[in-house]
Amino acid sequence: MVEDRTPISPTGQPDRSTRIAGLVSAARGGSEEALGQIVSELTPLLWQVARAAGLSQGDAEDVLQTVWMRLMSHLDGIHNPMALTGWLVITTKREAWRVRGAGRRQLPADQDWLAALPDREPGSEEQAIIDDERRVLWAAIGQLSPRCQELLRIIAFVPRPDYQAVAAELGMPIGSIGPTRGRCLAKLRALLADEPEGSPR
Amino acid sequence: MTPPDAGGLPAADEPLDDLDLELLDGIRDLYQAADPMPADLPERIRFSLALRGLEIEVARLTAEEDMPVLAARSAEQSRTITFDSDSLTIMIRIDSNTDGTARVDGWLAPSQCREIEMKTTADTLSAVSDEQGRFAFASVPRGTVQLLVRPAEQGQSGSGQAVATPAIIV
Repeated sequence: MVEDRTPISPTGQPDRSTRIAGLVSAARGGSEEALGQIVSELTPLLWQVARAAGLSQGDAEDVLQTVWMRLMSHLDGIHNPMALTGWLVITTKREAWRVRGAGRRQLPADQDWLAALPDREPGSEEQAIIDDERRVLWAAIGQLSPRCQELLRIIAFVPRPDYQAVAAELGMPIGSIGPTRGRCLAKLRALLADEPEGSPR
Repeated sequence: MTPPDAGGLPAADEPLDDLDLELLDGIRDLYQAADPMPADLPERIRFSLALRGLEIEVARLTAEEDMPVLAARSAEQSRTITFDSDSLTIMIRIDSNTDGTARVDGWLAPSQCREIEMKTTADTLSAVSDEQGRFAFASVPRGTVQLLVRPAEQGQSGSGQAVATPAIIV
């Protein structure tokens, strides 16, 4: 499989695919331990997918349980770990739309907590610089379209070796050697470059 | 395809570079801080996945409502939750017992006689619904629980496969 070469994995998790594939096959064989590890590894990503779709915390918890329960009847059809992540992400999005479509309690667009970035303990000067960078990045994200905010929020939690499969599921363009930056990241970088304080570097 | 006005700005169709990856790391840290996943969620999910080895239909939670109990001296609330699957609707009402446990009354629609299990963190309770689809668990320990409607057997009025709900907290 040519796709297994992941050109965008500089931090390198070369064993991840093999490891997840092993966990999936053990889970298929009935190992609760293996299944538990997959759940621990991928639920933080799916939480962001559900919340980015506008679900309340309670609805997001319900939806994620449903998604994992549904995976149980699809495990036999999942042949590689990248497909697993993609399937989970897209199924979470569909379940989230279904819940929102059903008109259950919904969050107002939660732009407010964009302003409520938790403050850290005042610390060293170095820490103060990091905090400034966080604020600048937060403000720039807030200027992106809702669709870009949602997409970047999801992609940021995807394990890098899985970018390609997940980006394809989300409709991001894939270049000849892997995922491209895409409109949303390009826009974010343009916003940061315009920032008078400079880019976050 | 190069944007005409690129002027040194990064183009959308270029491969991801180190700064992109660093920005994504930054975005992850921000959302992690602003909207963290509840720490006990993976545990709840593992609990609801333990029912395996059965062909199970997943019932989605489709409605949840808190209703004040009408008894004037009670501040207790009664909760009703509805779950829907392709073949079955399960509605439950959760009330408080005076001993601190919960009472769960339920209805299956279409009404049918089925065996129903309630998995709790301690052990699994059993009940059978009557011809009107009614069932009850009189004393349920507080905590995480999950309902499983067993596959219909010959002689029961219902039909169809096992149906499981997500885990809920009573």
